[in-house]
Amino acid sequence: MSVNTTIGTAVQAVSVLTGWGPGIEALPADAARAAAGRSVIALERPALEGERFRRATRECLLGVAAVDALLRASRIPREVVRGSTTALIYVTGGAYGASNHAWVAADTARRGGSVSGTLHFPYTAPSVMSGEVAIEFGLTGPYGILIGGAAAAVDGLWQATRLLETGQCERALVLTVETFEECAELYARGRWLVGRPLVEAAACALLVPGARRTRYDAPRAPSALETLARARAGETLACAPLIALALARAAGAGDSIGVTGEWRGRRAGLHWH
Amino acid sequence: MRRRAEPVSLIAAGAVTPFGPDLDAFWSGLITGSDGISMIERFPVDDLRVGRGGEIKKLRALPGTRRVGCRATQLLFAAAEDLLARAPIAAEPERIAVVLGTALGGVGELERALTPRGRFRHAAGALYDSPAHALARRLGARGPVLTVGAACAAGATAMGNGADLLRAGVVDVVVAGGYDALCRFVMRGFDALRSLTRESVRPFDRRRSGLLLGEAAALVMMVRDEDARGTRLGRLLGHGSASDGSHIAAPDANGRGLELAIVSALDEAGLTAADVEFVSAHGTGTPLNDRVEAGVLQRVLGRRAAEVPVNSIKASVGHTMGAAAALEAVMCLLAGREGVVPYTMGLEEPDPACQLDHVIGSCRIVRPRVSLSTSLGFGGCNAALVLEAADS
Repeated sequence: MSVNTTIGTAVQAVSVLTGWGPGIEALPADAARAAAGRSVIALERPALEGERFRRATRECLLGVAAVDALLRASRIPREVVRGSTTALIYVTGGAYGASNHAWVAADTARRGGSVSGTLHFPYTAPSVMSGEVAIEFGLTGPYGILIGGAAAAVDGLWQATRLLETGQCERALVLTVETFEECAELYARGRWLVGRPLVEAAACALLVPGARRTRYDAPRAPSALETLARARAGETLACAPLIALALARAAGAGDSIGVTGEWRGRRAGLHWH
Repeated sequence: MRRRAEPVSLIAAGAVTPFGPDLDAFWSGLITGSDGISMIERFPVDDLRVGRGGEIKKLRALPGTRRVGCRATQLLFAAAEDLLARAPIAAEPERIAVVLGTALGGVGELERALTPRGRFRHAAGALYDSPAHALARRLGARGPVLTVGAACAAGATAMGNGADLLRAGVVDVVVAGGYDALCRFVMRGFDALRSLTRESVRPFDRRRSGLLLGEAAALVMMVRDEDARGTRLGRLLGHGSASDGSHIAAPDANGRGLELAIVSALDEAGLTAADVEFVSAHGTGTPLNDRVEAGVLQRVLGRRAAEVPVNSIKASVGHTMGAAAALEAVMCLLAGREGVVPYTMGLEEPDPACQLDHVIGSCRIVRPRVSLSTSLGFGGCNAALVLEAADS
């Protein structure tokens, strides 16, 4: 599988929040060593004000914080992205796990006669995560919501380029969020599926029309950038390709960059050339 | 400016629904006015306000699936069996993609994982993309495996995403569609939201009081138009999606996102509302959804709103969530092929605020060539498909 496009796109900006801190500057040189035996490096619940966020889950707020960080760092006013000309692509491997876990636990307690949890059921849906972001930033354009790890994030980046190339939007936000803390015990049981340490993250990339064409393919081996992102950040599932993009841009890669990502034995790649 | 997209051929479809184990049972259930709603028996519902839904009572035992415990995966395998019996996949494994929409993934496995006897395979199965990967393995597909989590609009978005993979030349065959299994997780959720009705589901009826959930899987086999050989079910002409950006669980009061999705799908199809001959509405039977949706259809169709047949099948099989849009897309194509539009069960007294050309009381003998199918989901997801039935 290898597909070249004929109309150009570009990555205008990338934001990264991880359990190590804000930005790629916070990433250690060696995540495994820095974790010092901790299985999960957690991100705190962002302190966003407003009644609307009272019920929102931590993962929703992390998504809002990642988009906000991107706009602030790039000095892009919110008005620029508001409306139907901005697409929102959301990708996660398991950020819905916390709310799902809480809902099941509350139901179990309820049937046992205890008081149920206060989680509002719609927040168990992955689409509500991107829905909160859409509400906060007034995004009413096309959406994409993909569930999966790093390969799915590459698929999401490709979908964003397709939306731009076919004129369905003028810019596309690709947002990834991963949380692990609430489901750490479950992830411990599925150790064959995910690496260590599990590092919570939220990342966002803004794609716009540009000069570079893309190639979407299925490489057999990880790129050096994929390996570097994993070594420095740890296991961030869907956030890994966006962290790799941020690392490449910081290293002066310019517009000619490529990312790869693997999940469940499938690797996808997207290259701007 | 959006460009018109190449149509994509839908070679065949397969389904498992509360009506039975295949597409034939689904279609005959719809046109005979069967009721797929029953008391749920597979898990406890005694403490819920409403314990009815479109439960599939019996699944065929398929070879090689004895150890498949995940209900959602079982539904997908059953639909795939039906699909493959109608059309074998003819492509190299790397050129086959699986693109599935779901609202719940394998969340039933999470319920099992959190019991004292839960095992690691339950935990891994709880990830929403597990059923899609299981289906890809069963089909021998080694191309992209995408799980679309756009709630109850996911089936439509998955078909749109699948069409894009074909148009871009990424793969040669896409098995796309949607699925969701009933489980306590979702029954309790909708029960808590007071969205479930204790009465009959009555889409667009003035007495409508809520929805009932159902379970199903529906799959279509898609190829590029020029690669289609022999008979086909129809074509996907256009897909559109839009976020409401207004509320996490209720549609935008003016239906702006749905309207944008419809306009976008028609644009992609290179058509206008004047070309639409039939509308398969989301039509959940909830007071707000139906009013908003009817308003959007009235605006989009204009004066033709009084003459374009509109139906909803959610009173027949329940709201099958991630499967709903795929099932409804297939229904559109079958209606065009068979020359019959199934009627909206439960609709007897149309709400004056929902005035459309509803198909009421009995099926309508009409052969719609171009259909519009609409879907809405949690998070403000709106999707629309424009479909063309094959010549009968």
